[in-house]
Amino acid sequence: MSSALEPRTEARTRQGLSISAKNFGWQHAERAVPAISGLNVEIPAGQKVLVLGPSGAGKSTLLYALAGVLEIDEEAAPSGELLVGGKNAFDRSFPVGLMQQDPETQIVQSRVGDDVAFGAENLGVDPQLIRERIPRALEAVGLGALDYEHRTQELSGGQKQRLALAGIMAMGPGLMLLDEPTANIDPQSIPPLRDAVINAAQSSGATLIVVEHRLEAWAKHVDRVLVLEPGGGLAHDLTPQALFDDEQIRAELAQAGVWVPGYVPRTRSQLRTPGAAKLTAKDLVCARGEHAVRTAPASLTVASGAAVVIRGENGAGKSTLALTLGGLLEPVAGELQASSELADGLAAGPFSWKAGALVARIGSVFQEPEHQFVTQSVREELAFAPLRAKRGSGDELKYDPAQVDARVDELLTRLRLQDLAEANPFTLSGGEKRRLSVATVLAASPDVVILDEPTFGQDANTWRELAQLLIEELESSTAVVAVTHDEDFAKALGAQQIELAPATGISGVRGSAGPMLDAPVADSWLAKINPLAKLGAIAGATLPLISTMDWVSATVVIAAALCALPLAGLGIGAFFKRGWPLLAAGLMAAWGIALVGEDSGAVLLNIGIFQITEGSVAGGVATGLRALAMAVPMVLLLSTTNPSDLGGALSQQLKVPHRFVLGALAGMRLLGLMVEEFTTLTLARRARGVGNLGTMRQRVKAKAGQLLALLVQGIRRAGRLATTMEAKGFGTGERTWIRTVSFTFRDGAVLAAGILLGVAALGIAMWAGTYNLVW
Amino acid sequence: MTEQLAKKQSSWRVVDIVIASVVAVASGVFFWAWSAGYGLFSLAFVAFPPATALLTGGWLFPAVLGALIIRKPGAALFCEILAAVIEALLGSHWGMGVLISGLVQGLGAEVVFAMFLYRKWNLPVALLAGLGSGLFAGISEAYIVANLTEYTEAMKVFHVAATAFSGLVVAGLLSWWAVRGLAKTGALGKLASRRAHLEPAVAGTK
Repeated sequence: MSSALEPRTEARTRQGLSISAKNFGWQHAERAVPAISGLNVEIPAGQKVLVLGPSGAGKSTLLYALAGVLEIDEEAAPSGELLVGGKNAFDRSFPVGLMQQDPETQIVQSRVGDDVAFGAENLGVDPQLIRERIPRALEAVGLGALDYEHRTQELSGGQKQRLALAGIMAMGPGLMLLDEPTANIDPQSIPPLRDAVINAAQSSGATLIVVEHRLEAWAKHVDRVLVLEPGGGLAHDLTPQALFDDEQIRAELAQAGVWVPGYVPRTRSQLRTPGAAKLTAKDLVCARGEHAVRTAPASLTVASGAAVVIRGENGAGKSTLALTLGGLLEPVAGELQASSELADGLAAGPFSWKAGALVARIGSVFQEPEHQFVTQSVREELAFAPLRAKRGSGDELKYDPAQVDARVDELLTRLRLQDLAEANPFTLSGGEKRRLSVATVLAASPDVVILDEPTFGQDANTWRELAQLLIEELESSTAVVAVTHDEDFAKALGAQQIELAPATGISGVRGSAGPMLDAPVADSWLAKINPLAKLGAIAGATLPLISTMDWVSATVVIAAALCALPLAGLGIGAFFKRGWPLLAAGLMAAWGIALVGEDSGAVLLNIGIFQITEGSVAGGVATGLRALAMAVPMVLLLSTTNPSDLGGALSQQLKVPHRFVLGALAGMRLLGLMVEEFTTLTLARRARGVGNLGTMRQRVKAKAGQLLALLVQGIRRAGRLATTMEAKGFGTGERTWIRTVSFTFRDGAVLAAGILLGVAALGIAMWAGTYNLVW
Repeated sequence: MTEQLAKKQSSWRVVDIVIASVVAVASGVFFWAWSAGYGLFSLAFVAFPPATALLTGGWLFPAVLGALIIRKPGAALFCEILAAVIEALLGSHWGMGVLISGLVQGLGAEVVFAMFLYRKWNLPVALLAGLGSGLFAGISEAYIVANLTEYTEAMKVFHVAATAFSGLVVAGLLSWWAVRGLAKTGALGKLASRRAHLEPAVAGTK
């Protein structure tokens, strides 16, 4: 494989690559029918092509095949021939750019400049050349104003996709492949992304292939439209104009769920008069946590049989408002009151209700269906909430088991999921998951249903079914609240629209409440030191302490580390803010030893079988101090080092394989996201009726389930991230680095100081007579 | 051909590396959430500090879980060390010590998988790997890194036994069970463990 990228020539890649498929087919492992078979198509260099087809038509498979990232093994193999630029696509003779739909996994590095350079570095492009390409690429996608050090995690979805595009452009690919690039970003961000893509293709002459099911944005900008046949080859080869004029084609595509331009699925609609108010919010202010951004005050009334749509800019906190209305977050200020009919014997604030009472009254549907799955089969999933739903103020169940069975059967039929009743919810298709997640909430027949972006990324068929389902709910007097950008959806529900004003005092920057691995490093003397020198210094200072258990050597190291705080730009206050868990841990260790350590000297305290003696206290103090001494110097490293730089140094200077270093860093970049996800999962589980209370066993089981859900999401995401990295040429051969690492005299001095400190600490302890070898 | 196949099975693909690191990150998040959410849950053990060793298994599971998911040589070590790095980066306890613990704990599990030539990933092997990881961790803490050098000998022995037991149950049993759960969701589709839920608990070879 190392020779795959061999002709790393610049000239060749500045023009488009042609594509030729002759009787091409692909068989996935563990599937009965091939994803593609007998595909014949010739695409000349530089053509802009839109690829369509019903779900399961092999559109993504075709793109991954062209990118050369489909893995061939005993069970999965291509047939026929697929050529890119005249050579077998699977040999990856030329750089090819690939963009997938999930913005989070299109970014690899934690800093903007590094991320743009990533693909070009993997291709072994000269660093000087890459440095010239970065500003050009960022400018071309409209992100020219961003600092190279800007954290990629703080970008919006649309910005992330444009950054990914900049990275693709910096590789200088002759072919760009986009797999539903706009499916997961909000409507306002679509035109700028689309324009950036078209400009990039035009200016570089690259061939462009876009898979989309919302055609509005693309139809007028491409040269050709290909429609794929499920399990087969080409169904149609069209001009873009046919998407507007050819009624037969339009009807056929609409039938397959494709959003042909100007098409709105038909739904039944009738005039309804709203009933009594169920939920009333007055100047309601919401936030996800104590320190999180607060939403502007909102006032609204949710009445039975009526729909309300919440709109607003990105970052206004629409989802936060929805979570608060759903009784999942506590209101920060203002009022949220359930009518006495809805509360049914409970207090007026939904947040105070137990999970079982909540699911029977207010149902919340999350944006990501998988967040809500808590069981192993579709049937159990549907039965879950009704089995837990409580009525009144006590523990009286809303349904008896027989009623639950009947409800589940009815929903399975209504949602056409009968055949999938025993399937694992996570294995369903995107549209099926969406329908199921709505149905699991409706199963407990709450009086109010709240949905967050229910139509996001859905095809026209799922859209129609969802709209129909909610219209039926409205007709049976349920109140519906939806956060959505989708005007057609609001119209179909006959909804009253409410605009949430932008939250005050912030820009569109995403804040993260959880821990950050790549927090920006402040400018300080130590920040300029080679990370390996710092790591070595810490090892030199702290590892010798392992050999002894005495308070003197530990104190020397702690004192020296505290003295070095100014070099790291840290005040003593900032240090304690960061390092307090260390103190707690040190105290804990000291107490443990004091209690059960070797006893000697006077008895200070007698607790049952334990004695606290002078000897055990001294041992405890030494143990606690040693733990602190091991930990405190690390704070100096962590607060002055970006993990990416540490990784770069490990790989370039210690020759740790870059595949593992950069792979690990890429995974670690998802930490903030996973913390957010974990918090969301906690809320989603309450929304499903999983209580926070219960026996220890129930709580452990609930947490284990939550960890499993977190892992499922994380592993899927990691798979997509790996595809992105492979498509960017990662791991195929020698790479170049735009950030070179040097080791100067100053770095050497830091390393030497650390080692000296370790030696001095032991020396002083020996001199003081407290040194004692632990082994 | 068989040689080629063996090489393919033991070499790491990009997807193996990234998924392994995400498993480690998820474990890190879980530690963080667990200790933040449950606050000072170890306070329950203030009355008898050596019993905290019973919780150690929670810190060992990335090793066994990672290996059972990735099924490649070095997976246990890689996941456990990375989880330790993340803990260290999040400003958790013990500084450099946490990295050494990660190395030792990962090694304990790795040795067991290596003894079975990276061919068996069933329940007994998972339990043994958890036990191995726990033993290594306990012995290291009691005798080598010697955080507990001031413990009485009986307490040290109790500590090692409790850590090993915790490794067996939490890291071994729960990881094995978690991988089966994951395989059922289809999330492991790209990995060697994608059929873990269909494999017999005891006999399974691969």
